[in-house]
Amino acid sequence: MSESGASMIEIRGVRKSFGALEVLKSIDLHVPAGKTIAVIGESGSGKSTLVRCINNLEPIDGGSIRVGPTTILPDRVEEAGKPLSAREVARFRTRIGMVFQNFNLFPHLTVLGNIIEAPVGVLRWPKADAIERADALLRRVGLQDKAAAYPATLSGGQQQRVAIVRALIMEPAIMLFDEPTSALDPKLTDEVLTVIRDLAIRDRTSVIVTHEMGFARNVATDVVVMADGHIAEHGPPDQIFGSPRSSAAQQLLQYAS
Amino acid sequence: MPLARSFDILWEYHRILLDGLAMTFELTLISIVIALITGVTCALGSLARWRVVRWISVVVTEFCRNTPILVLIIWVHYALPEITGIKTSAVVSSIIALVMQSTGYLSEEYRAGIESIDKGQYEASKSLGMTYARLMRRIVLPQAIVRMIPGIINQLVVLFKSTSVVSIIAVPDLMYHANVIVNDTYLAMQTYTVVALTYFLIIFGISVLVRIASRRIRFIGPSHAILQAA
Repeated sequence: MSESGASMIEIRGVRKSFGALEVLKSIDLHVPAGKTIAVIGESGSGKSTLVRCINNLEPIDGGSIRVGPTTILPDRVEEAGKPLSAREVARFRTRIGMVFQNFNLFPHLTVLGNIIEAPVGVLRWPKADAIERADALLRRVGLQDKAAAYPATLSGGQQQRVAIVRALIMEPAIMLFDEPTSALDPKLTDEVLTVIRDLAIRDRTSVIVTHEMGFARNVATDVVVMADGHIAEHGPPDQIFGSPRSSAAQQLLQYAS
Repeated sequence: MPLARSFDILWEYHRILLDGLAMTFELTLISIVIALITGVTCALGSLARWRVVRWISVVVTEFCRNTPILVLIIWVHYALPEITGIKTSAVVSSIIALVMQSTGYLSEEYRAGIESIDKGQYEASKSLGMTYARLMRRIVLPQAIVRMIPGIINQLVVLFKSTSVVSIIAVPDLMYHANVIVNDTYLAMQTYTVVALTYFLIIFGISVLVRIASRRIRFIGPSHAILQAA
């Protein structure tokens, strides 16, 4: 485990069940500020659930997750020992960007509408500022001519780049990615991974759930292998991919080219 | 009396019939506008986290949906004032009853519309820091309402038809005036035929709109396209 640097995210003994199915079985994980953690593992290993717990999209059943000054507990979210209201929990989420497997753009809003909805509506930025910032980010991801388009007219790769911009415009300290390229073909996967590497994880703490082993190896500072609700192995990419010790990691990498 | 002559007589009453028609439209429009608001309130209530709120919403919805409109109107006009101590005019009683009935139906439409919105829309909204109220208002309801358009128009048709029973408590709508004219002239066949055709033509017109709207939604698909076209 990385001891250098203060932890931005501290996951301690986190448990989570869906009905009788225990998805997370006492997970411990520290994510140092500024690092990029790739979480790999078979489907159903609990990796998606884990990242969704970090911004409290899924409430936890046991343990705690500290994110900066905020602590998520099974029955409440608190800061400095004081429980947060629903509105304050919503505000807490503005500091954490999230990108989903299925993009989840708002189909009734244009690309620009998607991007400025939260900065204007939640953070109360002046609309002109939000538009200016959105245009700059769209240019960075090569979609400057798509501001007025509706999501359904875009390719999957374009939609996911818009979704990344929508999260980044909030200037979050943390970015979470839940299988950001699993719904995309290889060519579109590359264009999205490039944006994640060059723009989205720069100067941020990030956790990326992915099946892209090459990306995990080249971009992550740490790799976590999950299996059956546990962390089977955790270490630098070269160690995990070079000489995996756990059987879960060995099995997983056997199929990865 | 020759048929042409009897329609001449009826023509002398056309202003009264038009007044009645205006009342029918008024009742329909006022009721649907109020019911669109009370309907969404009930739907959100039936989806609420608190069990008490959920139960109240479900009971209200089911009572309104499963009581015949004629019974509702009489109940609101003659029974409700004894419970509340507030006496309402026949028009107000009618609107209350019509709103109750439409609230029941529209609440179900809203609920189905809201539940048809993908879970990912909620997650994306929450991850951007939206509160429940904001994500409902800005993200979920705008998409749900577009999908509800055929259902809303359908309810508008039902409502328009339902207004014809308000004459039972002497609200001067189209049907009420028809009864008055028949009492005056004994021209039952002519009067009721004209009134039936009037109802038919208006409702048929709305039904054609429903069909066009449904087809557009089916062919154009996602809600954004309709908003774009609108």
